[in-house]
Amino acid sequence: MKKPSNRFWALLLGGILLLCVAAGVYLYTRPAPTVGPVAIISLDGEIYDTIDLGAVEEEYTFTVTGKIGLTNDIEVAPGKIRVCRADCPDQICVGQGWLDTDFIPIACLPNTLVIQVVDGEGSGIDSMVG
Amino acid sequence: MKTRRLTTCALLTAIALTIFVAEAQIPLPVPVPGMKLGLANIVTVYAMFALGPADTLLIFLSRIVLGAMFAGLNTFPYSLAGGMSCYLIMLLLRKLVSEKQLWVCGAVSSIFHNLGQVGMAILITGTPKLVVYLVMLLPAGIVAGVFTGLAAQFLLARLKKGGIR
Repeated sequence: MKKPSNRFWALLLGGILLLCVAAGVYLYTRPAPTVGPVAIISLDGEIYDTIDLGAVEEEYTFTVTGKIGLTNDIEVAPGKIRVCRADCPDQICVGQGWLDTDFIPIACLPNTLVIQVVDGEGSGIDSMVG
Repeated sequence: MKTRRLTTCALLTAIALTIFVAEAQIPLPVPVPGMKLGLANIVTVYAMFALGPADTLLIFLSRIVLGAMFAGLNTFPYSLAGGMSCYLIMLLLRKLVSEKQLWVCGAVSSIFHNLGQVGMAILITGTPKLVVYLVMLLPAGIVAGVFTGLAAQFLLARLKKGGIR
């Protein structure tokens, strides 16, 4: 079988790279939600809680415990949410910092915790919460 | 040459595991779940072309299982899913790239590692939205993969020149 040339592979990989950058720019420059953001916290594949971040007036912290016993402390503030402490060694979810848009969800994969922020109006929150 | 084969596999597994554990200590500039340099893939790519698919599967499965003992069991499903899809695409790449194009193998296998990882994460967390992580994982993976692939390429060429394989 004839093997594709370096040029072919470079173009293919470069194309994928450009596509990702374009997708990233598109996601990042999307207009911000007009109606207060809502945080959806899911744990072990199920929705654990939803918090209307627009309605939060004072900061507070709570702890979630996953199926395998790891815990994360989640801090909620007006309009934003973050993981402020985690059991896991890599601390990636803590490093992801505050989340206030629907750009990228916070994930703590060892504990199967995902926090995403969605637009309060539309964007399928009703269907997700049920 | 059964002993020789066993020794080679054991040696490569030890090297891969060492790289894997050492790499876990390197902090990343951006906190993205699943992002890493993937230096242990140098061994997998090298083994795939120097030893063939059967030995590579042994080396790489041993590395993942032993790696879980060092790095913790929590990320094992993601490692396994990423590693398996990475391995499967390498079976195909073996036919598609020459020994002077291992950098391609590094980059493409890293893409599939990310796909497998994120696929497993979506499955476990039930959050399809995690797919946006690919926007960051793929470019980083391609760049890192080209370099790890090149490392494997040089390794293969040098060892061949020295009459070792």
